[in-house]
Amino acid sequence: MTKLTIVELKLLTREPGAIFSLLIPLFILVVFGSSIEPGDTVLLPMALAIAVGLVGLYMLPTTMATYRERGILRRLSTTPVRPANLLVVQLLLQLVLALVACGLLLAVGGAVLGAHLPTRVLPGVLTFLLGTAAMFAVGLLIAALAPNGRAANGFGVLLFFPMSYLAGLIQPTDQMPDIVARIGEYTPLGAFRQSLRDVWAGGAPSPLLLGVMAAYAVIVSIAAARFFRWE
Amino acid sequence: MAVIEVTDLRKRYADLTVLDGVSLSVEEGEIFGILGPNGTGKTTTVECVEGLRRPDGGSIKVLGLDPVKDGRRLREQIGVQLQHTQLPENIKVWEALDLYASFYANPRAWRELLEEWGLADKRNARFGKLSGGQKQRLFIALALVGNPRVAFLDELTTGLDPQARRTTWELIKRVRASGVTVVLVSHFMDEVEELCDRVAVFDHGRVVALDTPAGLVDGIDAEHQMRFTLMAGDMVELGGLPGVTGVTRTGNRVVVTGRGDFATVVTAELARHHVLVSDLRIDKRTLDDAFVALTGRSFDSTH
Repeated sequence: MTKLTIVELKLLTREPGAIFSLLIPLFILVVFGSSIEPGDTVLLPMALAIAVGLVGLYMLPTTMATYRERGILRRLSTTPVRPANLLVVQLLLQLVLALVACGLLLAVGGAVLGAHLPTRVLPGVLTFLLGTAAMFAVGLLIAALAPNGRAANGFGVLLFFPMSYLAGLIQPTDQMPDIVARIGEYTPLGAFRQSLRDVWAGGAPSPLLLGVMAAYAVIVSIAAARFFRWE
Repeated sequence: MAVIEVTDLRKRYADLTVLDGVSLSVEEGEIFGILGPNGTGKTTTVECVEGLRRPDGGSIKVLGLDPVKDGRRLREQIGVQLQHTQLPENIKVWEALDLYASFYANPRAWRELLEEWGLADKRNARFGKLSGGQKQRLFIALALVGNPRVAFLDELTTGLDPQARRTTWELIKRVRASGVTVVLVSHFMDEVEELCDRVAVFDHGRVVALDTPAGLVDGIDAEHQMRFTLMAGDMVELGGLPGVTGVTRTGNRVVVTGRGDFATVVTAELARHHVLVSDLRIDKRTLDDAFVALTGRSFDSTH
């Protein structure tokens, strides 16, 4: 299990997509960050949501669907090691990737650009975990349904843009039609971004939105497990 | 001692019968061939034996273990090379061997395998950069890295050039020499003829014959021909000899058709009457002929 983790970590660092997931949100942060006022509470939550969205919708499903497509899971099932171990290792590493991406954004945003960092840690951590779980669940469902790695990649990109729009990551929510903004708030990414905003504003995220993310995480994961094929 | 014992194995998918009572046994230390066109149940049989699939009926014992109930213990002792599997593009050769070695309780030293399989100078190459032959050698090395007692190799030389196939065959013989029992799934006649001690011929989800390659060829009762040119002496009557079914003569060229070992009888008869012949040619019967005789169809037309 240790060796599997080390090798998978090495493979992740050789994956250009992993670098992009780190750099794209950072790029957005830096480009827009040059014009923010000190103590800004909007930009960092957006960048964090984009980072987690990219890992969950793009990296996770593509990697997992590719592993199935290439018969790697099947090959593993002929060894004493269970192929489920590989999926667990992958989930953990993708979580680490999301953490690194967010850590990088917080460091650059907070220290260099002077954006606001929330003082209360616990609501932030809780929001991050639930939001990431919801996005990863969607990623797992894509991996379960996509016939191969390329299709998973396509589905991920295809979902990323409408989900980003609904989450108010492309256009601010107050400029969106009311009804769309309301719906968007209850999408996985929208609930995540809104909860992050609440945390940044100094309050506690709404229990309703935390519940929405938890519900997505559980229900979509169950669906993914239901549809997942090993070969 | 039998290392694999399969009795009356049955498997259905919806209303399609894939295995219709397969029985076979593999002896320790042999290269056992599983031959047949695609869709005749050979891969399904092997997957049931490896514990990848659960049969609907019949019994399987591999090294005394039940692949379904004792799967984990069994997988410690077998090595598998699957058809159509790949590794991640970016994994290095040594990393793959090191990783797979870590899955087993008593693995082989993977550095030795690198040498043995001619991959030492590729140890830092990424999987995606390897040639077809190098990938195939790596897959075989991965099947052996757990120090297995039985190795399953599925369509091992598909896609390799003739030179690489020959090299692979020599290496497989070395695997047997090291005491590992090899189960070879193949649809190449020449490969089976060259490597296998015994062969099970599959057709329609059954084993239609099980013998040595030579035994399979000898067992067929198809007509074949011998030809020769008369040099000196008068032609003798050959039509009545045992096994001979026809004689045609065009000038000095003679073609004799027959079954079984008629060629020996004919040459003895010619010698007894001091008939001298040249250009004597006897059509060699091959495993292809045996296959046609066993299944009633040509092998090449089936895949």
